[in-house]
Amino acid sequence: MHKLLIGAEEIPEIIRAVAQKIVDAGFAGDCVLVGIQQDGVPLSEKIADAIAGIAGERPLLAKLDISMYRDDIGKMRRLPLIRETEIPFDINDRELILVDDVLSSGRTIRAALDAITDYGRPALIRLAVLIDRGNPEYPIRADFVGRRIELPADRRVAVRFAPDDAPGVYDEPWIERHPETKE
Amino acid sequence: MKNLLLKNARIIDPGRGLDTIGDLGVADGKIVDPGKVSDPQTIDLSGKVLSRGFIDLHVHLRQPGNTNAETVKTGCMAAAAGGFTSIVAMPNTNPAADTAGAIELLRSTAARDGVVHVLPCGCMTNGGKGEEMAAIGSLKSAGVVALSDDGRCVQDHALMRHIVEYAKYFDLPILDHCEDVALAAAGVMHEGKWSVLLGMKGISGASEELMIARNVILARQIRWKIHMQHVSVKESVELLRDARQKGIMVSGEATPHHLTLTDECVTHFATTYILNPPLRSEEDRQALLDAVADGTITVIATDHAPHTRTAKLVEFDHAPFGIIGLETAFPLCYSELVKSGRMSLPSLISRMTQGPAEVLGIKDYTLDEGNAADLVVIDPEATYAIDASRFCSKARNTPFDGREVSGRIEMTIVDGKIVYAR
Amino acid sequence: MQWNRKDLLELYDLSAEEIELILDTAAEFKKVSQRRVKKVPALRGKTVVNFFVEPSTRTRVSFELAEQRLSADIINVQTQASSLLKGESLLDTIKNIEALRVDLVVMRHSAPGAQAFIARHLNCGIINAGDGAHGHPTQALLDIFTIREKLGAVKGLNVTIIGDILHSRVARSNLWGLLKLGANVTLAGPSTLVPREFESVGVKVCHNLEDAVADADVVNMLRIQHERQTIGFFPSTGEYSRFYGLKAETLKKMKPSVLVMHPGPINRDVELDSDVADGDKSVILEQVTNGLAVRMAVLYLVAGCVKK
Repeated sequence: MHKLLIGAEEIPEIIRAVAQKIVDAGFAGDCVLVGIQQDGVPLSEKIADAIAGIAGERPLLAKLDISMYRDDIGKMRRLPLIRETEIPFDINDRELILVDDVLSSGRTIRAALDAITDYGRPALIRLAVLIDRGNPEYPIRADFVGRRIELPADRRVAVRFAPDDAPGVYDEPWIERHPETKE
Repeated sequence: MKNLLLKNARIIDPGRGLDTIGDLGVADGKIVDPGKVSDPQTIDLSGKVLSRGFIDLHVHLRQPGNTNAETVKTGCMAAAAGGFTSIVAMPNTNPAADTAGAIELLRSTAARDGVVHVLPCGCMTNGGKGEEMAAIGSLKSAGVVALSDDGRCVQDHALMRHIVEYAKYFDLPILDHCEDVALAAAGVMHEGKWSVLLGMKGISGASEELMIARNVILARQIRWKIHMQHVSVKESVELLRDARQKGIMVSGEATPHHLTLTDECVTHFATTYILNPPLRSEEDRQALLDAVADGTITVIATDHAPHTRTAKLVEFDHAPFGIIGLETAFPLCYSELVKSGRMSLPSLISRMTQGPAEVLGIKDYTLDEGNAADLVVIDPEATYAIDASRFCSKARNTPFDGREVSGRIEMTIVDGKIVYAR
Repeated sequence: MQWNRKDLLELYDLSAEEIELILDTAAEFKKVSQRRVKKVPALRGKTVVNFFVEPSTRTRVSFELAEQRLSADIINVQTQASSLLKGESLLDTIKNIEALRVDLVVMRHSAPGAQAFIARHLNCGIINAGDGAHGHPTQALLDIFTIREKLGAVKGLNVTIIGDILHSRVARSNLWGLLKLGANVTLAGPSTLVPREFESVGVKVCHNLEDAVADADVVNMLRIQHERQTIGFFPSTGEYSRFYGLKAETLKKMKPSVLVMHPGPINRDVELDSDVADGDKSVILEQVTNGLAVRMAVLYLVAGCVKK
């Protein structure tokens, strides 16, 4: 049913590559990495560590839950559970980098843009992802991409970080580990 | 009408202390010697119980006033299906049966539409409002067998005293709904653990107990019959037991629902469980079962109270009180009292025949030859689930649909005519 | 943990986990109200009817604002039980409202169980905003939210609720919620208004104020209704206040960390001295703030389970 696409041992390397691209673009300690709940949050921490390793300074971190901003409320069997949003500073005129594990349809990022701008008016927003599936439904592109993976639309790319959860990047059918059944 | 020869039945006749296998003849509407029935239709009743038909002292027929819920015709059919051959029609119709004219209307309607005997009951007070004494003498002349303000209770003790004194002269027993209105406090369920936990207005048991005590005093003082309708609490039973031991002319009835259900049923707010008196605690229920078994309570009465689905499809607080009971009375009581080993079948039959007959002053309510052939045939072995969709009553407001019970009414005969056969 | 209910009727229906889920969700919604933009599109395109068959200002305003902050469309219906009795039945009225493609009905009614009755017959979600003396789950949730926010866990806390417990839906809902979360509950007030039957669910019943509050971590003072006096439950509000009002000198003898709560509206100097109501132990206005977050959370969770 599910197939390992990228082994756990390769993930730190991809994260470093993303961090390098961010630093190359001129961002480092003065930017904010905004991890999108749920899997963007641990990823943002790892990227921040990598940036610290490369540039010597660590960006600020924030967490963003986009459940309240989704465009598929009422279409889903159930509403997603709301997780913590933590933006411990003023984001006005700051440079933000949204971080998520996979860029798929672009809908999550659309919701994240709505959500984050309700907290203030950032100077600019960029997007960093570990995996880009390259089949956006909305006109949204990532600025910093770790790996591009093309899969049929009925398959899902799943990234697992937790050591007790067989870490790696997987090719899965949609139904498996879907947010509705995950709890 | 064919003559009948009922063969091989277990004949139970508590009035004569009879419980035997035998035959019974019916000719010209009367019970006759089975050896002397000419050209009978023979019915083999092996394994079945044959008794004098049940009397229900407490039935609401809803005609006139609420014929969407029940009529004399459908109520009588329901009675027949429940094994009842005589039913006492409560006077709280709309308008109330507080005049001779109303009683005559009921009698003529019953003569036309009814398949069982409808015994009219008149109001004690005009409109059943508890304010002025009704024309009791005229009611008697029109044919009432008893007086009641059922649904309400005369709060004015002096007025009640006068009613009992006056009724005594006309030989009319009082059937009283015992409820002190102030203590009942517009409640909708039993005041106890569940009303407190649910935040619902409770009807205190004291509200019944107080009026039973009042009635015991009046019955003693006036030496006349006061029958306590739908006794529901333990303390009422104790008052009744004590009074009867002293020879005071009081009696009491228990309903099948108070014998089988408790206030815990209300926890889901289903309006089938709104009753007055309300379903009481398990302790009360056990006291009632004991009282029926030991003869403190001599009458099982249904308080058959039909309501339309619409009337019950409202908030609990706004729903009308009552459930239907004619078609479920016997199996419920048989399962709860006889099958459980609490009392014998002849004793239960006595509570549904002899007991109510005594309250009404009917003498010799037995299977003696010459008596009216008002009979019921019971299958004591049948075990089944109650199916409300097959009821003869117009109403369906019963909490017992689907309940597993034992004991089934097989046939009901009124004046020698088979009015119900399963 | 997943939320599975299209209705919120009473807290005794819920598990401790479900209550915690509401509170956790409410914590996130509380942040929304602290932002520059106090609104989220979570219920955009959903219609909520606030159906109040009993007058209410506080609860209705709180629900209405919660709905607005979730971007729902709102209709307010205010009626009286008496007018419902005369005309269309409650069920027909609500079915007509549902036929307008409404997603949620927030309902207050004077009859216990009215919402449970309606919920059995409808597809849209029902939120109980108070049913007689039976329940007021969102009030209890906001009370518990406030306790949890101020004191950490609820488990093991001594919570004393004081007042007309007999007629109080707030007391009952709090009781169920607090018991589920492991608090020790004491109910206190005049013997006519605090029936002993409550002991059957494992709470303490007490008729002496000082005993009731001695070990309390939280005291929740209920509003005393003047009309109870007229039907003989206690002699006068003056006497009530003397024996069951919370005064500054009593407060001094209590735990320094105690929280003083009140569901409002306060009868100042009857159940609560003004000094106490406005003092540093009082969290009464925070309860109001938290009510908004809790109602947003409940609306959000319940809306997610309403079938289209």
